[in-house]
Amino acid sequence: MNIRVLQFRHESARIVTNPEPLKFVPIREIRGKTRSSKQLTTSPRTTLFAIFAAMITLTTQCLTAAEPDFERDAVPILKEHCFNCHGPDESESKLRLDSMMAALIGGNTGEKTVVPGHSDQSYLIELITHKDPAKRMPPESDPLSEEHVNILRAWIDDAAAWKDTQQKVADRKTDHWSFQPLARPDVPPVDEAKNAIDAFVAGKLSDVGLRMSKPAERRRLIRRLFLVMHGLPPTPEQVEAFVNDSQPDAWKRLVEQVLASSQYGERWAQHWLDLVRFGETNGYETNRERPNAWPYRDWVIDAFNNDKPYDQFIIEQIAGDAVGDPIGTSFLVAGPVDIVKSQDPNLTMMQRQDELADMINTTSTAFLGLTVGCARCHNHKFDPISQTDYYAMQAVFAGVQHGDTALPLPEDAQQQVTMLDADIATLKQQLAKFVSKDAKRPAVNPKLNVEEFAAVPAKFVRFTINGTSSGQACIDELEVFSSNENVALASEGAKSSSSGDFVHPLHKLSQINDGIYGNPNSWISAQVNGGWVKIEFADVRKIDRIVWARDRQGNYGDRLAVDYRIDVSADDKAWSPVASSEDRESPDKESNAPDYDFAAFAPDEAEAGRALLTSLQGVTKQREVLAKPRMVHAGTFRQPGATHRLYRGEPASPREEVLPAGIASLEGVQLAADSAEQQRRIETARWIASAENPLTARVMVNRLWQFHFGTGIVDTPSDFGANGTKPTHPKLLDWLAAELIDSGWSLKHIHRLILMSATWQQDSQPQAAAMLVDASSRSLWRFPPRRLEAEGIRDCIVAVTGKLNSTMGGPGFSAFEVQLENVRHYFPKQDFGPGDWRRMVYQTKVRQERDAVFGVFDCPDGSSVTPKRSRSTTPLQALNLLNSRFVMQQAEFLAARLQRERADPAAKVVRAYELCFGRTATPDEISVALKFVDRADWLQFARAMLNANEFLFVP
Amino acid sequence: MNYDTLHNHPLTSRRRLLVDTARGLGGIALASLLHEQGLLADEKSPLRPQIDPSQPFAARDAHVPAKAKNVLMIFCSGACSQIDTFDYKPELIKRHGEPMPGADKLITFQGGQGNLTKSPWKFKPRGECGKMVSDLVPMLGDLADDMCFIHSLTGKTNTHGPGENFMSTGFTLDGFPSMGAWTTWALGTENQNLPAYVAIPDPRGTPQSSVNNWGPGFLPAAFQGTDFNASQPLRNLDRPAGIDAKTDEATRDFLQQLNRKHLEQFPGDSELSARISSYELAAKMQLSVPEVGDLSTESAATIKMYGADDVENTLKASYAKNCILARRLVEKGVRFVQVFNGAYQTGGEGVSNWDGHKSLEVQYAKHGPVLDQPTAALLKDLKQRGLLKDTLVVWCTEFGRMPTFQAGASGRDHNPAGFTAWMAGAGVKAPFTYGATDEFGYKAVENVATVYDFHATILRILGLDHERLTYYHNGIDRRLTDVHGHVIEDVLV
Repeated sequence: MNIRVLQFRHESARIVTNPEPLKFVPIREIRGKTRSSKQLTTSPRTTLFAIFAAMITLTTQCLTAAEPDFERDAVPILKEHCFNCHGPDESESKLRLDSMMAALIGGNTGEKTVVPGHSDQSYLIELITHKDPAKRMPPESDPLSEEHVNILRAWIDDAAAWKDTQQKVADRKTDHWSFQPLARPDVPPVDEAKNAIDAFVAGKLSDVGLRMSKPAERRRLIRRLFLVMHGLPPTPEQVEAFVNDSQPDAWKRLVEQVLASSQYGERWAQHWLDLVRFGETNGYETNRERPNAWPYRDWVIDAFNNDKPYDQFIIEQIAGDAVGDPIGTSFLVAGPVDIVKSQDPNLTMMQRQDELADMINTTSTAFLGLTVGCARCHNHKFDPISQTDYYAMQAVFAGVQHGDTALPLPEDAQQQVTMLDADIATLKQQLAKFVSKDAKRPAVNPKLNVEEFAAVPAKFVRFTINGTSSGQACIDELEVFSSNENVALASEGAKSSSSGDFVHPLHKLSQINDGIYGNPNSWISAQVNGGWVKIEFADVRKIDRIVWARDRQGNYGDRLAVDYRIDVSADDKAWSPVASSEDRESPDKESNAPDYDFAAFAPDEAEAGRALLTSLQGVTKQREVLAKPRMVHAGTFRQPGATHRLYRGEPASPREEVLPAGIASLEGVQLAADSAEQQRRIETARWIASAENPLTARVMVNRLWQFHFGTGIVDTPSDFGANGTKPTHPKLLDWLAAELIDSGWSLKHIHRLILMSATWQQDSQPQAAAMLVDASSRSLWRFPPRRLEAEGIRDCIVAVTGKLNSTMGGPGFSAFEVQLENVRHYFPKQDFGPGDWRRMVYQTKVRQERDAVFGVFDCPDGSSVTPKRSRSTTPLQALNLLNSRFVMQQAEFLAARLQRERADPAAKVVRAYELCFGRTATPDEISVALKFVDRADWLQFARAMLNANEFLFVP
Repeated sequence: MNYDTLHNHPLTSRRRLLVDTARGLGGIALASLLHEQGLLADEKSPLRPQIDPSQPFAARDAHVPAKAKNVLMIFCSGACSQIDTFDYKPELIKRHGEPMPGADKLITFQGGQGNLTKSPWKFKPRGECGKMVSDLVPMLGDLADDMCFIHSLTGKTNTHGPGENFMSTGFTLDGFPSMGAWTTWALGTENQNLPAYVAIPDPRGTPQSSVNNWGPGFLPAAFQGTDFNASQPLRNLDRPAGIDAKTDEATRDFLQQLNRKHLEQFPGDSELSARISSYELAAKMQLSVPEVGDLSTESAATIKMYGADDVENTLKASYAKNCILARRLVEKGVRFVQVFNGAYQTGGEGVSNWDGHKSLEVQYAKHGPVLDQPTAALLKDLKQRGLLKDTLVVWCTEFGRMPTFQAGASGRDHNPAGFTAWMAGAGVKAPFTYGATDEFGYKAVENVATVYDFHATILRILGLDHERLTYYHNGIDRRLTDVHGHVIEDVLV
């Protein structure tokens, strides 16, 4: 793979002061410029030369005519004015100007310091000639003389002289480990290794003089297996069965059983949901619900359970709509979004930039382990990612908007709808003769109104309000179609204007054609019972349909424009009507179907007609129900306009256009400026999910490793760049990555390899000597034990009390009572029933507000990507587990369960140990427990068990 | 506690990190890589707190000697208008009713501008320094001699949620650690029996950005603010109903017995020992939190001074109790206390907070008295008890408001271009005024300061270098001040 790099690899600086260029430098200027100790001192030679040069007044003109030479002509000027900060000793903003290569690479601002052949586009020239002294380079100095500027211009403009350097820059390669092509390493020959993993681990252990621990005993092993793979404890029966299984493949069968269980997907999906900042509210100040986000959670669970190939898993999350799986793109819009829009255009642009940054950041960290988001304002500080790369990726996602999308109907439903449509057509035909002569169009409907007319060319559409159901009219979106394309969208270049706008943060003129439906994104006229709103298209378009509504989400029916007219115009002067409320039923009339008149027909004919009408109404209703699409927060897509690089990330400072592409230094895909929106995403997805991409497989196997052992082979799981850490076991990482690809991207295959290794199966107890060398067990001399995460603790509690509700999928359960104000308020629930005892992955993920009991166990809130949770220990955790209503109720259930299942007090203690700790109690433990129960009761005993370290730890 | 991930290892410096890593596994190449790239030379190395997992809140040294030990922040939610409180502009009064030059082109949060509108409240010279403060907050005005005003703050957003995020966390986005979380992560706290960081929500409810204002972001959850106020006690603090104290204690003893037995199998495991200590800490907290929240020991004079006995303005009385609670927490050595004035519940825009878009005079006439006496009493009380010597008091809001009224309304729109905050107590000059807005109070023009500068200054007063207090998260060494901020040296003592 030919990897180019933008990382700073300067040529050795050759500062040639001889031969000196012929130039005019007044002595005064040279002396006056020794402004700091860092300043390069001007050699007497230069001074002498300057005097010499001063005597030859004609030189400058003579020389600029000749072909400029970097060393001879440019270096002396740059040395005098620039090297102080941008030379061999200092490279402020990562910019050096002491070689052509360094100059061409430029600094970290992302601006093009030198554009060969185009000094007028070169940032260097822009800065040294800047009119504003505060911005001009060099700072706090006199500007460069015109002659000097002209020499530098000539140097840049000599395009031919840059050819070699351009080639060199293009040919650069990074030597950073994670960018190197993946090659399957040989497995070292190690005798006692159970599998290849052990061979690699053993090698590292012997390097640090440590040995692997003995295998863990079976009770500990099965408990660990269930906690790591399911996030639930094994039942006492499962423990006993495994302990007594004398077949040599007992462990292998247990591993298969665990991988085949749907509880595996429920556990591992949580890790992925953390990583992609999944949440079910919008976050920010209003923090409204996102009721159609949960299908993605189920989609991820299913993907893990079905062992969906990881490459397909990636592709579907970036461009599932292109490959027939439209739920996956929920990934792109799973993050928080600020729905409070203002009139301030700068703020609106910044909000959109933030939305796109969230998509770029999540995509690049989750799949590539690269912090591309760092290059939003300047070139990446550590990695070969330029600011241009960032905006190239932004161009890929520029057409993605937050929002719900309708899932296509399942095939059988679609077939039924087609059949019903045929029935409806037949019935309508049969009823045609009964249609009343003066039938009108249905009354205006707050949820949707369609105006169809013969296609007419227009550049303007004006909607005039003459009367409303109440107050000032509200329209959530005015769509104007040219065949199937909505040409009224602002993103298509259409402009809106009005007779006056009602002032309110939720209701703005810009929302009349922003593509977003519903009351919170609507326009309201300033005038009661009147006003107009107008759309001007980018070009004259042939339009045939206008669709509008008061509130397509169906929450509001007031402020409805019941008396209206729609006109079109080519020039904003001459208007002609295309639709109005005149031919509609009056709004108080209920039926939406055309009126039928049976009076003029014979009684039996009329009877038959009425029967047909009844059938028509029935079938229509049936169709309506069947055809109602399931909505998913999977984003909406529209063709974007041009993307520009933004100087310092400021929306108000656009620079050159950037085409959609992947990361250049990783040979990212290159797309044309006019490439279709979906094509941008699918091509990018294929580039990421390619076996040739050196990062994708490495990053994913490292994540799996981390969730097994607590820490990844690379400890910075979402940063495989230069600021991340290096792998502790690089060859093991590469070997696992090769296994992932060669297995057809099967994650379960990697789990099997890990679970079958002696490394995973070894004991977890500390050993003093090894602790001294490697306390965090990174070399894996033991299995590192650790506390369960929030979800694991909650799930284990409801499991051992026997209350676990194993209903999979569907809308989540809420941990809160929600106060439905504009800004939502969430109050922790105090009463819990079976619906609340589902696994915590099904708890509706409310941003900002964490679960009142378990949130404090470092449970992230989905506001930002969490590749690895912190694990803190606090008194509030103790208070929550000891005193909360939730845990107390569960303790009651556990006590009742013990009471139900065992009669003898000692047997009750044993049962509790089996359920909570996966082992039996020693006689000593039984007697201590019984003594305590005598003083307190079984409820308190259960309460203590649910708080115990042994219960909460992965052993 | 898992503080020992490589990047957040309790280290003293990046160089130390490199030495450690180089000794450890696979670290040498990292060190050489960083060295190659010259990253060591041109960067200020991180200073990360040394945290003992079994005592995460133990008091820790600052980077340099601190001027203040504690912070007490009073946050006016909804964007409290500088025009009607502390930023006196005679020119605005003179040109009342005229259009603001250039305002025709100005589009703020809710749209277009009406005319320049002077405050309905008169300004008067206050204290010995004669600082002009409005009649909306006369008792605060009387303390002008103790205050250090910054009139030239500028923000990055004019929306409340992001604005509160920005003031409290340094980022407009959700998901970043609050200033209190950064502070307690760095410094721990003096009193181990109380939470290190307490957020006191307004009696009416939570602010617009809710728990983000005191959230831990990506810092360990231990450092999030614990929220309770005088009317809403700390959740799950009390033992469950129906369990007497003796039984409760016996249960905790039995639990610790179980845990110690289990620890025998994992000698030296710090995470397990930390959990054992956390239960001991929790028990202490069960005694000390109700004690600190028990205002019955306060003298009648104190209650009166704060206005906590105001039977006519019960809202003021409730907020006053929160202020007394805040003082008691500071007195007990809680490191960071945040008091909120204004909430988004029960009404929203302008009704229950400072968001006076439509009828500012009516709304502020209610909010002013709620804020004024209790907050002034809090400052006076801290001073008379000698607590201001160690405590930095900060008054702030998410952004300012316009000197114009909104087109067609009787209130002011959002304005992040210039707004006021004040500080008092340890570390700051007083009386002092830093920076200024233009002649109307619209835009900061003199000594323009950013919220980053404000944060950098607060950290400096606590002895923390904002550029070196960093936490590695998802590929980036994160700071409260992102990549910005300069300490406003002029306001420091």
